[in-house]
Amino acid sequence: MNIHHSSCHNHSHVKLGFIPLLDCAPFVVAKEKGFFQAEGLDVELSKEASWSSIRDKVAFNLLDGAHMLASMPLAATLGVGTVRSAMQTSFTVSHNGNGITVSNALYERMQRYADSPQDLHNAVALKRLLESEKNEAVRFAIVYPYSSHNYQLRDWLASAGIDPDTDMQIIVVPPTQMIDYLQQGEIQGYCVGEPWNTLAVRQGLGHMLTTGYEIWGSTPEKVLGINSQWANQNPEAHQSVIRALDQACRWVQAAENRIELFALLSEPDYLNCTPEQLSNGPDDDIIAKAAQQRFSGRRINHPSPNYALWIMSQMWRWQDLARPIRVVDVINQVYRQDLYCQALGLSVEDIPSFIKSANFDESVWLQGAIEGRVKPHPNGVIDGLILD
Amino acid sequence: MLVDNEAARAAIVEQAMRDNGYRVIRRLETTKHLTQEVAQSQPDIVIIDIESPDRDMLENMSRLSKDNPRPIVMFAEEDDSSHIEAAIRAGVSAYIVDGMQSSRVKPILQVAVARFREFQALRSELNTVKSQLEERKTIEKAKGLIMKHQHCDEAAAYTALRKLAMDRSQRIIEVATSVISVMELMGDKQ
Repeated sequence: MNIHHSSCHNHSHVKLGFIPLLDCAPFVVAKEKGFFQAEGLDVELSKEASWSSIRDKVAFNLLDGAHMLASMPLAATLGVGTVRSAMQTSFTVSHNGNGITVSNALYERMQRYADSPQDLHNAVALKRLLESEKNEAVRFAIVYPYSSHNYQLRDWLASAGIDPDTDMQIIVVPPTQMIDYLQQGEIQGYCVGEPWNTLAVRQGLGHMLTTGYEIWGSTPEKVLGINSQWANQNPEAHQSVIRALDQACRWVQAAENRIELFALLSEPDYLNCTPEQLSNGPDDDIIAKAAQQRFSGRRINHPSPNYALWIMSQMWRWQDLARPIRVVDVINQVYRQDLYCQALGLSVEDIPSFIKSANFDESVWLQGAIEGRVKPHPNGVIDGLILD
Repeated sequence: MLVDNEAARAAIVEQAMRDNGYRVIRRLETTKHLTQEVAQSQPDIVIIDIESPDRDMLENMSRLSKDNPRPIVMFAEEDDSSHIEAAIRAGVSAYIVDGMQSSRVKPILQVAVARFREFQALRSELNTVKSQLEERKTIEKAKGLIMKHQHCDEAAAYTALRKLAMDRSQRIIEVATSVISVMELMGDKQ
């Protein structure tokens, strides 16, 4: 087949990176089920070992785009934790999928401070434990510093009055090593995407206390992150990628495709595991379960300006932004709702956008974020944000 | 500090660093306690394979300035991008202590980049040699099978293979592979 490659002039070659996680599924499906090809694309998928590697390779044109943390195009464009480089997103690949899991040992100790199961669920028991046993070092892990995992964990801790920077320690561990670290007592808990919470629970190594969905409501988790220069130079190929992924997301969401999906994902080129590790059978659907992972449906796939505002508020709150920024400008530059709508023939007016509301005042907003007064709407960040 | 699970490459890079007047204070093959190691050794620069899954761990250290008195940032300040791109293409990523002058960083990185490239070239050469060896073995095996099956000598078997290859405009190795699979299939049925 490769022999004919050079003669296919109308097939644009696009190189996309991914991290082997459950939510890379739309990329794998778009490739394997021929959705990319039907859009006239010749897509090469490249498995990457770390989020840093994804970011750097997209920044320096070794990849055109990638499966990215929804916060990553913002962080890269702002130069948070890296060299500044313009990235953008016009498509949200998935919502939710994170969970907070603690070791059995910490769970048992927390139980002594819990008056009700709710105290375990909302970190009140952990707060009491940290106050009473001041000499005990508690260490939690996340997978990447500028991520939903970090900010969800911090929000959860702070809501119980725990200072994540002084009362405990948060470190970074690759997702594949999380369970090992937990088992060896190097960490007592973590916030990570599926399947790593479910696997720890199934193996009897930990307890899942809450999910990102319960902390923030339905929120974008992974996006199609694109090098902005590439996007400007290849508008047609970019739109084709969006359409192919949109179709793939619908396919992934459809429950009747689960068996085929897990078979595809488990292959050595992708997650390299057994299908059984992803599913124990039809009654044990890891996607629909606790973490509420979603790939398609109402208000799932558009680039969400509300989420961009929310995540930048979190960066500001936890001092990841060195200086004040014009958040509205950054959102318009990075979260390209216009391109999403153009590719799929939709209207931008239908996308909820808090920053367009008349009473949005940037400086008041950022001050509220620092004080922890900015909250997601009870239905989730997509439906709006609340400034107390 | 050098973090590399490829012991051979790490040795080459370390030697090159030393030849250029730099000191590698710590060479890690596993990254199990990377955070603690960095805090203890306090290197000026950490060089790590771009494909290492542990890079995200290092990224976090620039956030953790309170735990680590020498915050680490990637590519001190904003170095010119062609320089960084060259490093990334060669598979090098570097974490540099904040405040270290970029004029001092550049030559160190250049040494690392050159040695990474050299190592890659060595490895692909090794792969070529290996696959040539494999090909020769396959052809030998095909010849052996033909000799046994046709009761002919080695030269005749090789000529047969070559003729087949020419007729089909394939490489000898491709023909040899098909011969082996066909012969094995027939062997199974006997």
